[in-house]
Amino acid sequence: MEQSIQIGKEEKQLIVEDLKVRFFTSKGIVKAIDNLSFYIEEGESYGLVGESGSGKSVTATAAMDLIPDPPGRIIRGRIFINGYNILNDLERLVTIKVRSPYDVRIRRRKRLIKRHNYIMSGIRGDKVSMIFQEPFLSLNPVMTIGEQIKEAILLHSRVEISNSIIKRETLNEDDIAKMVDTLMAQPDNQTRKKLIARMCSQYAIPDLAKPFTDLYENSTDREFIMKESLALVSTKKVGLNLEELEQARNYFLLKDREHDLYLKLIEAEKQEDEVKIDEVRKQIYQIKSQIRSDYLLFVLKRLFLKRFMDRPFEEYADGRVLELLTEVNIAGPERVMDAYPHELSGGMLQRCMIAMAFSSNPKILIADEPTTALDVTTQAQILDLMREVNKTYNTSILFITHDLAVIAEMCDRVGVIYGGNLVEEAPVKEIFYNAKHPYTTGLMNAIPKAERRYEKSARLESIPGSVPNLISPPSGCRFHPRCKFKMDICSEKKPKLVEIEKNHKAACFLYSDEVEEEVEEDVP
Amino acid sequence: MVEEVGFEQTGLQTGKRYSPRVEQFTATLKSFLFYKSAVAGLIIVLIYVGITMVDIFDPALFGIPAATYTYINTYAPQYATTQQTYPSPFAPGFSHGFIYWFGGTIYNYPLLPAMFASLKFDLGYSFLIVAIGATAGSIVGVTAGYLGRWADELMMRITDIFFSIPFLIIVIAFTVAFTAPLHSSLNAMLLALIIVWWPIYARLTRSLALSTKSLNYVEAATAAGSSRIRNIFYHVFPNVLSPVFVQISLDLGSIILIFATLSFLGVGGFFPNGTYTFPELGGLISNGEVFMLSWSTNKILGTAIIWWPIVIPGIFLLIFTVSINLFGDGLRDALDPKLRK
Amino acid sequence: MELKYFIIRRGLIIIPTLMGLTVLVFILLWAFGPYQIAVAFNPDLHGNHGLATLANYLDQQGFSAAVINGQLQFTNPIGSYFRFVADLFTGNWGQVTFPSRVSTMTAIGVFIPNTIQLALGATILSVIIAIPLGTYIGARPNTPADAVGRIFSLSGYALPAFWLGYILIALFANHGIGLVASAFPYSGSGVAGATGVPIGEFGLSDPTHILLIDSLLAGNLSLFVSAVAHLVLPVVTITYGILAGILRFIRAGMVDAAGQEFIKTARAKGVPERLVIKKHIRKNALLPTVTVLGLLISGLLGGVVTVEIVFNYLGIGYLAVNFALGVQVWGILALTFVFGLILMITNLLVDVVYAFLDPRIRY
Ligand SMILES: Nc1ncnc2c1ncn2[C@@H]1O[C@H](COP(=O)(O)OP(=O)(O)O)[C@@H](O)[C@H]1O
Ligand code: SF4
Ligand SMILES: [Mg+2]
Repeated sequence: MEQSIQIGKEEKQLIVEDLKVRFFTSKGIVKAIDNLSFYIEEGESYGLVGESGSGKSVTATAAMDLIPDPPGRIIRGRIFINGYNILNDLERLVTIKVRSPYDVRIRRRKRLIKRHNYIMSGIRGDKVSMIFQEPFLSLNPVMTIGEQIKEAILLHSRVEISNSIIKRETLNEDDIAKMVDTLMAQPDNQTRKKLIARMCSQYAIPDLAKPFTDLYENSTDREFIMKESLALVSTKKVGLNLEELEQARNYFLLKDREHDLYLKLIEAEKQEDEVKIDEVRKQIYQIKSQIRSDYLLFVLKRLFLKRFMDRPFEEYADGRVLELLTEVNIAGPERVMDAYPHELSGGMLQRCMIAMAFSSNPKILIADEPTTALDVTTQAQILDLMREVNKTYNTSILFITHDLAVIAEMCDRVGVIYGGNLVEEAPVKEIFYNAKHPYTTGLMNAIPKAERRYEKSARLESIPGSVPNLISPPSGCRFHPRCKFKMDICSEKKPKLVEIEKNHKAACFLYSDEVEEEVEEDVP
Repeated sequence: MVEEVGFEQTGLQTGKRYSPRVEQFTATLKSFLFYKSAVAGLIIVLIYVGITMVDIFDPALFGIPAATYTYINTYAPQYATTQQTYPSPFAPGFSHGFIYWFGGTIYNYPLLPAMFASLKFDLGYSFLIVAIGATAGSIVGVTAGYLGRWADELMMRITDIFFSIPFLIIVIAFTVAFTAPLHSSLNAMLLALIIVWWPIYARLTRSLALSTKSLNYVEAATAAGSSRIRNIFYHVFPNVLSPVFVQISLDLGSIILIFATLSFLGVGGFFPNGTYTFPELGGLISNGEVFMLSWSTNKILGTAIIWWPIVIPGIFLLIFTVSINLFGDGLRDALDPKLRK
Repeated sequence: MELKYFIIRRGLIIIPTLMGLTVLVFILLWAFGPYQIAVAFNPDLHGNHGLATLANYLDQQGFSAAVINGQLQFTNPIGSYFRFVADLFTGNWGQVTFPSRVSTMTAIGVFIPNTIQLALGATILSVIIAIPLGTYIGARPNTPADAVGRIFSLSGYALPAFWLGYILIALFANHGIGLVASAFPYSGSGVAGATGVPIGEFGLSDPTHILLIDSLLAGNLSLFVSAVAHLVLPVVTITYGILAGILRFIRAGMVDAAGQEFIKTARAKGVPERLVIKKHIRKNALLPTVTVLGLLISGLLGGVVTVEIVFNYLGIGYLAVNFALGVQVWGILALTFVFGLILMITNLLVDVVYAFLDPRIRY
């Protein structure tokens, strides 16, 4: 079992296994997610559908380990991001004692939780990003859009930024000559424009992309271009202290390595590999003492002169923000950058959220109903944008929605969630043309379709009843109170999610007799 | 069972056509019982109220002289005229009988019955002030909020003015000036406090009325042709009621503190200069001040320091105000669907 | 640009309120006036006035001719109101007999600096304590730290200020039991005169009437230390009373902000927990706290009254209580007017500052 998971982790960007989430409220324990597993491959777009209240948002937030505690906690599960299980130290963070559903004692280990948060803050936003349903509520109302995107950039790309700035500052005539030659060799303007953008970004001069492009469009004289390029670049060289920049770069490199070592440490602790633990601990200690001995002055200086020392970084980030905003098709990015969230429309804000999410080229994007709060035309634009970004960055997307039309448009594979359980999972075509689970077929029949008006039975079939109360969910198959095909076994045993056809899984006794074993656990 | 969806649903948000009073009440009660400190506060407040009740109906139950007014004549006639020296009161202990458990205060008056009598006064009159202030303020506020426009604007300006006056000073001056026309300083003080106390309720209920007006079921009722007056009584007032109760509970504590401050500043008081006005906890505390002057000499001489006339009534008062604040806070949280856990 | 109009508009709202305040003051004058006149004719009603004739009494109270006319004839209330307002705004505030027979303006002018120093001390102390403490407990609601903070702030509400003053005196002052230390004098605002600082009116130091400054001006360090020592207990007492409200406000703001959706966004982009609190939650929570300034000032104005009496501190509160007890009509009216003005201006400032700080406010 364990072995099969290890295989192919490289293609699978996000793996969620055996997830169980609970909310401890004064009304009882909300059994929000049970035994949920799915995975997303590289570049794939995975859709999660279900009625509202079925646990989609909880799944999404759990995937980033952002369940608000209190009242909620992930009780069990593994979540692999980039091959690393972020829930490695889950069991050790807290001990939960359930005396009664209304009296749950949670003891938190502060130091471990602090370490966990430190780990997670390096992963969130860097490896995996998230956009939310309500763009109006999801941006900080007292910070400008620019500041918020900049914050994300500066959190995760310090090393890259330092490298780019150093590159820019050491840029000499030969380099430029080489650049000009490559650019002039390009066959058409379009590819050249892209190349220019990439180069400019590498050399921390993103705002020069446009003048450069213009230059090549207006002239083919190498001498002239050379002269102009030199002039342009020299305006951008501000004569920074290279030594200091390199020191900063090395410091941030060390910090990044420290973070990676902590990941290793936790993994080793999980495997209870004493030798490895000791080794990693020693390495961490080394880095710490190196920072203490070599970078003490730097750290102190940063403490007091942060604003001053960060200026080149901020300038770079400003340019990058403009670039990102342009990339998500925002007109007048300079204006939007200085705007506060309340000054923009929902569609604009969602674009900004997308820009922010992509600021550090994450491998995974989690989108929790990103278009639900928008009107239809904006919705289409945002979906287009997401698809485009998905293609350019080859990002895996976990796309959550209750709108099947959106699923059809966006996703490669679909999981259907009901009452905190995954009930069906298949490629999108299969779901639409060959749905198996009664809940899925019910959902399909509830889609308004133009042609149905002219059919005999011209009525939308809705599923009777509504989403169950997850404090005391129905026994057995959670769908049985609403199911047309309910059998005796349905209310007694819980069906297991099994492959019933190739690439098509469903959890229903109509297709398989396999029963999900319900084990007695400390936390019900 | 299948009807309940999430936790977000409360009667207020679902736009039902009837006011969701009953559901709200049970939800509130459950939620209130969840706040243990608030329940503790309520219990202590009830104990204090119980003491007051007994003191009203059968003071003899505590072994307290029925009429505390007669004290000076029966207990310490000699001090009524000669006020120069203050003999040391009994210390707290069990050697002088029930009424001296907490010791004595000025003129060796027993602290325990003094505190009970003061509590009766404090609780009774603060309740009177809050009740009148809340009623008057609520009527003004709800009307203004519901009518809106100029009525609302006018009321806001008037309350603005009341909020910007130094009411303590006005109350003192009013009390002093109107003691004679109103025949007693108590009447004057009560009137003054009532006059300054209604605006807070007017403000509170105004904003509540404004928000209630736009609730779905009230709009539905208006659309169905229900009259304004009917609307106010059937829909707006019930919704205003619970926040007003919270404010009342919090204000009971505040007013008792104001009574105390007024006594301390020389308005009313227990036995200032040997003449009796009315028993009041703050006055009882200030009476202990006369012993404070001797503290440093006591310390030097090594004689007993008379701390209890100040400390014990103070703690007695503190327990009450803390409890009623805990209760009010808990009630407020319990009534707020947002804060309900 | 827009902010300017907002300030102007918000400033204009003050005018009706201010007029209302003067009407209220005028009504008070009417209310107190006849009673005072009756007292003047019949000294037995009120022991404080041994005045024989109306003329004497009116003269002593310093009523302006306009008011006397309006007062006695009740024929032209509108006219006399306007003359009264004119008096009010030109600083023609009559006379008081406490602390001695002077013009009201003089008395207030002399006593106010001492209170400003007290109020400033309390404001600074409460802000220094409230903001870090409020953010600390607000960041961890429903923990033991929060419970301690809650009880601490509740007791600030629930304690009568004068009782706290007594207890502090007992514990810390050298007139008290001195259980803990005898470091602080318990009464007055410090003794001037003998130590080289000139004594001005009513025994207050000259030239600023603030001993803290005057002693420094005279280069008398030991007196300065004594003045600071005199300030400690009153400042602590006032601070304890007003702290509760601010603390509660900040805590609620923190809890509210922490539950907002954009905090989740901040965490989702990888902002470290420490910075989430510092940069996102606290910034949003502290913005509305500016409005607490209004609360703070009204708390201060109430607080100084009691505390100045407890500590025999010669300030405006001390003056006010004595005005009120002696029904010094002009003194009460002038103070009402001044207090009201201070509060209104504070509220105006608060609104403006808030509009300036919070980008969401639409002017
Ligand atoms: N903070 C919370 N406290 C208690 N219950 C919660 C909380 N968040 C979500 N839940 C419960 O989890 C279940 C799933 O909610 P959610 O994931 O938000 O549904 P949706 O599919 O609409 O996104 C619901 O029954 C809801 O009541
Ligand atoms: S298991 Fe039974 S109740 Fe559940 S979906 Fe299948 S048939 Fe319906
Ligand atoms: Mg959702």
